[in-house]
Amino acid sequence: MEKLKRVRITSKGRKYEGVMLPSPKKEFLVLKLDSGYNIGIRKEGAKVEELGEVKVEVGGERKMEAKKGGRGDIAIIGTGGTVSSKVEYKTGAVFPSTTPEDLAKNIPGLDKVCTFHAREVFAILSEDMTPAHWSVAAAEIKKEIDAGAKGVVVLHGTDTMHYTSAAFSFMLQDSPVPIYLVGSQRSSDRPSTDARINMLNACFAAANGPMANVGICMHATSDDEECLIHLGTKARKMHTSRRDAFKSVNVPPLAKVDYRSSLIEPYMKYKERGGKLKFDNRVNENVAMVYTYPGIHPEFVDKLSSYDGIVIVGTGIGHVPTNPFGDKLAKRITPNLKALVDSGIPVAFASQCIFGRINMDMYAAGRMLQEAGVFGHLADWTPECAYAKMCWVMGHEKKMEKVKEEMMSNIAGEISERSEVL
Amino acid sequence: MKCGLEIHQRLDTGKLFCRCSSALADTERNPEYKLKRRLRASVGEMGELDIAARMEQEKEKEFHYDGFFESCCLVEADEEPPLDMDADALRIVLGIAQQLHMDVCDELHVMRKIVVDGSNTSGFQRTCLVATGGYLDTSKGKVRISTVAVEEESSGIVAEEAHIKHYRLDRLGIPLIELATEPDILDAEHCKETAEKIGLILRATGKVARGIGTIRQDVNVSTEKGARVEIKGAQDLRTIPLYVQNEVKRQEELLRLISEIKKRVGEKELKAKIIDLTGVFGKTDCALIKKGMEAGGHVLGIKLEGHEGLIGHELLPGRRYGTELSDYAKGAGVKGIIHSDEDFGKYKISGEEKDAVRKALGVKKGDAFAMVVAHKTTAERALHKVIERANMRRVPEETRKANQDGTSSFMRPLAGRARMYPETDLQTIEITDKLLGEAKAAAGGGLEEKEKKLRGILNPEMAGRMLKSRNLQLFEELVEKGAEPMLAAGTLEQTLVELRREGLELRNPREDLAALFDEYKKGLFVKAAIPEILRGMCGGKKVREAAKGMERITGAELKKLVKEKKDFGAIMREYRLRVDAGELKKAMEKE
Repeated sequence: MEKLKRVRITSKGRKYEGVMLPSPKKEFLVLKLDSGYNIGIRKEGAKVEELGEVKVEVGGERKMEAKKGGRGDIAIIGTGGTVSSKVEYKTGAVFPSTTPEDLAKNIPGLDKVCTFHAREVFAILSEDMTPAHWSVAAAEIKKEIDAGAKGVVVLHGTDTMHYTSAAFSFMLQDSPVPIYLVGSQRSSDRPSTDARINMLNACFAAANGPMANVGICMHATSDDEECLIHLGTKARKMHTSRRDAFKSVNVPPLAKVDYRSSLIEPYMKYKERGGKLKFDNRVNENVAMVYTYPGIHPEFVDKLSSYDGIVIVGTGIGHVPTNPFGDKLAKRITPNLKALVDSGIPVAFASQCIFGRINMDMYAAGRMLQEAGVFGHLADWTPECAYAKMCWVMGHEKKMEKVKEEMMSNIAGEISERSEVL
Repeated sequence: MKCGLEIHQRLDTGKLFCRCSSALADTERNPEYKLKRRLRASVGEMGELDIAARMEQEKEKEFHYDGFFESCCLVEADEEPPLDMDADALRIVLGIAQQLHMDVCDELHVMRKIVVDGSNTSGFQRTCLVATGGYLDTSKGKVRISTVAVEEESSGIVAEEAHIKHYRLDRLGIPLIELATEPDILDAEHCKETAEKIGLILRATGKVARGIGTIRQDVNVSTEKGARVEIKGAQDLRTIPLYVQNEVKRQEELLRLISEIKKRVGEKELKAKIIDLTGVFGKTDCALIKKGMEAGGHVLGIKLEGHEGLIGHELLPGRRYGTELSDYAKGAGVKGIIHSDEDFGKYKISGEEKDAVRKALGVKKGDAFAMVVAHKTTAERALHKVIERANMRRVPEETRKANQDGTSSFMRPLAGRARMYPETDLQTIEITDKLLGEAKAAAGGGLEEKEKKLRGILNPEMAGRMLKSRNLQLFEELVEKGAEPMLAAGTLEQTLVELRREGLELRNPREDLAALFDEYKKGLFVKAAIPEILRGMCGGKKVREAAKGMERITGAELKKLVKEKKDFGAIMREYRLRVDAGELKKAMEKE
């Protein structure tokens, strides 16, 4: 319940009556007229008369039978993001504020898909997530798995969802139950929100599917129909705004889901339910990820010496500026990278191409990178996955050779053996 | 009676919140892509779930959208946030607001008006209040203009099935100016005058779209003992008085009916005791029921206590109280209701069946009943709607659809402020004096100045006619391009009107007429040939092709003709379409 004031504002001979709302801009008063329209009136010269108080229930939507206190099969864990956000009056923008419990209540039909319980771990925007947050959230997921959840659904902002899903894939290895991250590209306060269908499909698959992987469940196309579950280590947000922003990179999606027709159609080999969770949520937060670009200064690379590990996101099939022909204008950064490696900092390579496998044998630049000690040859990981993996590996391993060995071995599907024709 | 108008006029600019063209795709064209969506109502800023929004949601429809590459982008698909408001559209609206003596808001807030009938992919219409408190002078005094807003046009509906609505995306997002008057309109004629004058002011800016469907008048009618009702979609100004008269009559009849109901049953609410009557119709001859049952439907019925004879009460010619109940039931997804005041012979429902229904429902003398045939849950919902409506012992506040015959049908409850939500994807717009100045210039000098200008180039009669014409904007464009004003006006207001009576219409009037006057100016043909040439052009010919055989006879050729024929009358009789009378006269004088 929020209390707002009903006012009459007189300004420049005009009279307005309505409910005063918090204004995003200092110079203006914002009034909700009885017609429902909001208008802004310049504060300067405006006379405000208070006419009484209005009590407003914000967000009091239809009440659904939520099993309060009880445990359902599916554990819904909130971390924030558009999927659980609504209007924020101070800035006028969308801000995470709905609790997962609210959200679950507001999704008609969720109770028909599964039994569930919900709680919130954080309420932050996904761009504010850090490896430390991955760690905390993974521990909460472990608690739910230990307590017998049949599946875990994590509400998450979409921007960095694929980093988190990669991190969970390493931290919560061999999970006996599925862990699906769900987001939305249209906030759940809109009639056209994609949150509802993403949630229903994720919960349906978490409760009924044979798979027990870490995945991301989002719209398959622009239509409000099926969702795709993408493997946690192979997913990437590929569009700023579309519902079907997430794509599987270099592998098919894990499965297609449609709760309406009870469809769960796997597209690749999946981990079956059961087995024992291998949990390790330690992370090293001092890892950098750096894009190379035309004209990158070699001294810029030198400045990375304070990091414990580095992911270089280079160009093409495995390149950075190396200037093998001694061009006058070109510069090379391989000596600087080599200096970092020689000082004991592991440097991994990922490609800006996103799609395709790295091959550092093919051209001179790749070979020079390998000579400098940069690894990543034949990996088909995404930059974000390589970064999350390095944060995790270096959480428990410091030795260069061991780090390199662990990075280059496939743990959670992040490096595929063959490049399928898709 | 109190009556106000709400006028929606499309603006002749690009789309309001994206940079797509507002030109509609060819109606024959196949869509380049399709989208399937579902919507649900959400809570407004003040925590209320709007009744109109909830009503649409109850229908649980799926929405299919046809998309076209040129006129729809990711914004229409609800896959990208809106871009800034179109600067031209904003200027025009600000300009019109100033012409109507309105107070422009200091800061504009774009709102989302929740509409979950699928006509907007987002589930809301973006709308923005621009100004308040203006007025318009009419022959019967001032009509106050309460608000001017700018908003997005909705998607056009293509087809509707039981659970799917089909829309086209090309219309979505075209800017509309919305003008609402206070209920200052005194009678039906005054209503027409007001609507016409607003239309004139809008067209005088030269920045509004032309053609069918580009202007819509909603009529707001309130009667003293009745309620406020909004009638949407009156296409023609001439029919507005009829809608107002009919709505007043409908409310009067409803009030009469309500007092009769109260006399019979008091304030007692009817109970929604729904009975399954499917068993009664096992061997029915009624095609409607048979078909419904074959499709897996049930026949459900309810008793309407004390309503005998009232369901059939005529509110307006062809519209009974039962039609109102039926309109509510349609909201649940059924095609209509069958009620006891109807002629059952028409449905081929036998006397035995009717008796069995009466028995099953416990209908006694003085009672009525209603039935629907549909899937069980749909049918139940529909009958609940019937009871809900029957229990309203007042004239309900409604949004109604204007029917062709001057009556109206229930669409949805009048939407309230609960469906307004701030558009969080857009920043607010600060209105500066500079912007207001630009807007004033962009919208032109208003009606008086326009009239003065027209009187300068046309005779008084034609100037008056042109000012009111829907062709005004086109006329000005043609004159701008060098057409003779009187000729252009005559062609638009007379020649084309006559051709239209013959069923002939130009396909691209803008381009066709510009080409016609251009060739005329170059001397390809004489004035008298224009109607004939236009006739050819209406058939799809280009101007040169249409003018074949009607080329002007002039100069040496004319001299030769004069020498041969010698008689003015004879030449004119034979070459009326090819010879300019003035030139011929001069040539004759020389001879």
